[in-house]
Amino acid sequence: MKDKKSILGKITASREASLMIVLIILCFVIQMRNSSFLTPSSIGEMLKNNAVIMVMTLGMLNVLLLGGIDISIASTLALSGMSVGMLIKRGIVTNTFLCFMIAILIGAVCGAIVGLTISKGRVLPIIATMGFMYIFRGAAYMVSSDEWAGADALGSFKDFALNSVLGINNIIWIVIVCYAIFFIVMKWTKVGRMVYAVGSNREATMISGIRADRVEFFVYLIMGILSGLAGAMAVTVYASAQPNMMYAKEMDVIAACVIGGVSTTGGRGSVGGALIGALIIAIIAKALPLVGIDAIAQNTVKGLIILVVIVLNVVTQRTMDKNVLKGREM
Amino acid sequence: MAGKSGRTISNTPDKSLKSRLLCWESMMILLFILVNVLCICISPTYNIRNVFREMPKYLIEMFLLFPMAYILVLGDIDISVGAIVCLSATMASIATNNGVPFLVAAVIAIVVGMLCGLVNGCILTMFTELPPMIVTLATQIIFFGIAEIALGSGGSISLTDTAGYKAISAKIGMVPVVFFVVIVFAVIFTVILSRTTFGRNVYAIGSNRVAAYYSGVPVQRIRLLIFTATGLMAGICALFLTSILYGANTTTGKGFEMDAIAMAVFGGISTSGGKGRLLGGIISGFTIVCLRIGLGQINMHPQLILIILGILLIAAVLVPNISMAFTKKKTA
Amino acid sequence: MSEYILELQGITKIFPGVKALDNVHFQLKRGEVHALMGENGAGKSTFIKVITGVHKPEFGKMFLEGKEVKFKTPKDAQESGIAAVYQHPTSYPHLSVAENIFKGHEPMKGPMIDWKKMNRDADALLQQLNADFKSVAEMGTLSVAQQQMVEIAKALSTNARIIILDEPTASLTKRESEELYKIVDKLKESGVSVIFISHRFEDMYRLASRVTVFRDSQYIGTYNVDEITNNDLIKAMVGREIKDLYPKPEVEIGPELLRVEGLSRTGYFKDISFNVRAGEIVGFTGLVGAGRTEVMESICGITKADAGKVFLEGKELKAKSPQDASKNGIILLPEDRQKQGLIMDWSLGRNVTLPVIGKYAKYGFNNEEAEREVSKELLESVDTKAVSIFDKVNTLSGGNQQKVVVAKALAQDIKVVIMDEPTKGVDVGAKAEIYQIMGELAKQGYAVIMVSSEMPEILGMSDRIIVMCNGKMTGELLCHEASQEGILELAMEKHNGGNNS
Repeated sequence: MKDKKSILGKITASREASLMIVLIILCFVIQMRNSSFLTPSSIGEMLKNNAVIMVMTLGMLNVLLLGGIDISIASTLALSGMSVGMLIKRGIVTNTFLCFMIAILIGAVCGAIVGLTISKGRVLPIIATMGFMYIFRGAAYMVSSDEWAGADALGSFKDFALNSVLGINNIIWIVIVCYAIFFIVMKWTKVGRMVYAVGSNREATMISGIRADRVEFFVYLIMGILSGLAGAMAVTVYASAQPNMMYAKEMDVIAACVIGGVSTTGGRGSVGGALIGALIIAIIAKALPLVGIDAIAQNTVKGLIILVVIVLNVVTQRTMDKNVLKGREM
Repeated sequence: MAGKSGRTISNTPDKSLKSRLLCWESMMILLFILVNVLCICISPTYNIRNVFREMPKYLIEMFLLFPMAYILVLGDIDISVGAIVCLSATMASIATNNGVPFLVAAVIAIVVGMLCGLVNGCILTMFTELPPMIVTLATQIIFFGIAEIALGSGGSISLTDTAGYKAISAKIGMVPVVFFVVIVFAVIFTVILSRTTFGRNVYAIGSNRVAAYYSGVPVQRIRLLIFTATGLMAGICALFLTSILYGANTTTGKGFEMDAIAMAVFGGISTSGGKGRLLGGIISGFTIVCLRIGLGQINMHPQLILIILGILLIAAVLVPNISMAFTKKKTA
Repeated sequence: MSEYILELQGITKIFPGVKALDNVHFQLKRGEVHALMGENGAGKSTFIKVITGVHKPEFGKMFLEGKEVKFKTPKDAQESGIAAVYQHPTSYPHLSVAENIFKGHEPMKGPMIDWKKMNRDADALLQQLNADFKSVAEMGTLSVAQQQMVEIAKALSTNARIIILDEPTASLTKRESEELYKIVDKLKESGVSVIFISHRFEDMYRLASRVTVFRDSQYIGTYNVDEITNNDLIKAMVGREIKDLYPKPEVEIGPELLRVEGLSRTGYFKDISFNVRAGEIVGFTGLVGAGRTEVMESICGITKADAGKVFLEGKELKAKSPQDASKNGIILLPEDRQKQGLIMDWSLGRNVTLPVIGKYAKYGFNNEEAEREVSKELLESVDTKAVSIFDKVNTLSGGNQQKVVVAKALAQDIKVVIMDEPTKGVDVGAKAEIYQIMGELAKQGYAVIMVSSEMPEILGMSDRIIVMCNGKMTGELLCHEASQEGILELAMEKHNGGNNS
């Protein structure tokens, strides 16, 4: 009994380690094909281009930990990004910091609405967020009034993504700060552990004095805030705001989590895993053209990867169970 | 084994219960009438002739509603149907442009759809641990992705020979052919779900999958069949869609899954399985079709219409939940 | 200071339409183990929830160490030193043992959780309970008994002075129960008062000094355990005397119906061979986890056996699904009625006819009228207490639900009936009726297999008894040569050798 447990423990603990190995192998292969890959500027560029996905992955980690899902995040992003873009274009707000705050606020409002609908209204997350996906995207179009904000209209805001502090791009700083905060919160604070508890066994939370519905609301709120932040980031990184920006990118975010070992049924996953998952997604996007796969096939490959990963998870779990059974002496 | 206490158990159906069940459907009919009155009020061009003329492009989503109702009753979900429509339409269009006769292209559309559904069904029945939401999310990306690859860099295709497609988008009198097809399917799907052994088994699976299995219901076989049928219906939907668009592009079918789920949920079919009837879904389907026609006629922004549909979808689940919570509070 | 650490007076709790507790009294002495007994629905659970602050009573007073208290939330009760270990472990399977123990009152260092201290404290608590696992283990990988130990550690971690154990032995093996008894003894020594709910008389005699009985939401009485006889206690619980609990009829035993040869499934059971004849009741017993249910599930095609054969009336039967088995007349009445046996929010009638709708259908179309007729007849034949076949199953008591499961089996063409723990969660009064039905089934020439952990019913109802231990058959006894001790010996035979439950 004891041996069995320690082996199981090792496998679950080494999930991040094995992902890390995959990541290193990926990097190595690409480096062989293209020697300019592992240079600071190339890595920085890659991180910057994927910063939006990486930030939202943190929120999705929380949502999936609860056993929920949120497919409205790309629309929230578009709404907040578009709003900021139009505010700048019309010259109403020019301060970069204020722009970020407004974007976060819009995201928070969206997240709060989603959270209320799911936690208090008891609407299934997939149904609720499917509805809000259209509502927020539609709202983004309404805000844009069929215009878009290009680089020339964005003024100093677009410079934010071009400047750096201590040799590291501002955008990457945001990512680093977000991951640092979440790493601490998810592991070391009561709130973070509550998310795990609710995802692990919702019925039991009442006895522990945890209000599951509040945790749920809070998680979707955080998801909204991060999507809002990501909206502003997307505007400055791509130097444009369009109502159809980042369309369907929620799939990349979910993919990053799933690849990073976050269970889609709740309770299992870590910030480290999510980070590696997001990095793998970023590297795959970069690697596909290098290994001769057309950019047009990127989505198909991403979908296949998600499918393979979740099926592999089931298969390994089954073989593990079978081995445990075989080991049971009779 | 005669009853020792001689107790008798009634087996006459409770009429009042039945009328209570009917409530949602009659409410839907009321809403249908209301929506039509509203449309007549806001749009001067809203009349039977115009409604039938504009109907097909909305009506085709009903093809997805029928199997989606089954899937929701099973307690599953399929959000890849829109992508299947896109892939089927793309394949049929490519086939037609390569000189394949219409009938063969039609078969291709349906077979492609069926295969996609089969893929969903196989994965979900072989790996029953997997949540259908995540699986169909992944296949959604894949099916759209394959369509994207097939469409190439242009991202769209236009039919060079529309002869066959014109035939299925024709009208009989002022009623489009597709209307009759939808009605036929509506009757078939409704009767199967509500009157047959198969339908009862579907409800059993949705209400308690384990107990259904222990009672000898072939759970996985039924799931596989329904997911495959969903693909097939998506193929048929794609065929009619192609006959309207005369082609396909990468955004074809996007959002169809939400529309289908919205129609079903709005019609009283619970997303948690085992509850609701297809009749309600069909009435709500027609209600939504009429609403979209009416709003389209007054040139409402298409995105604003999507917002309204999104709100309707959420409200359809939210309102009963809230009212239930209130009645519970009252009795408590 | 008052003699009682906890005293409740005239507690009344009203739910919409029902009085769940009606003027109930209870007194708990310092450091005593007090058993709380009564049939299902007698109000025990509600009473516990009043003590732990989950429910607020409409009337009545509650005194803790002589002082009146009013709990608003479970947290209030917890802070006053009352902890409950519920029937179904309420743990978080994905989290570590330490986290499970300290959930809600984690040791903190500033705003951060002090993991080191948490693990250390948890290990100390586990050691106190003689646990054989560490605090860093993942909860989900533990056995039910180990999880229960974690729950008790959790109660101790809050420095509880009163610990409530709600049917703690229900899912434990004999051995594990012994372990639990030791833990409870230890708690008692350290001055903790324990309220113990159980259906097993064994638990009560072993642990409790006093017992309080509830019946129909009312307080019946408190007795000293060594002064009350078994019969008097049953009478107090049921409200009447049960003359013949095991009405086993004399039945002419017919030809062999079912024969199993060398059935094996890796990790669950090995080399199982037995037969059952018409009119015979064969009891399958052993400790929980011995593989009894798994054998039955393989016979019925629910799970696949790796080796071995099943013969029905001399012909080999290869059941790949429950459907195959039931078509051939082997019906399993599963252990978990609510999850496996019935669709709880369906009506009685629908449930009864679910396996046989096809039989009455014409061209696939349901014949509802025939279904109604059949289900009425069958439900009456097993004497179900219900008003209409349109009643929902979840409105029935456990015993009546079991009757619906039986009616559902009778709807099919049966030869062999396998009843898995048929009286689990059924109160004493309804138990006798289930036994009656079982006897009738045998009388009508069906072969009956009864899987049960309850020794009295195995001894009282079976013609033959098969004992399993750790996945193997360890003995086959005829009714008259079996004794409780003999069966227990067989059920635990190999346990002294391979210690790997």
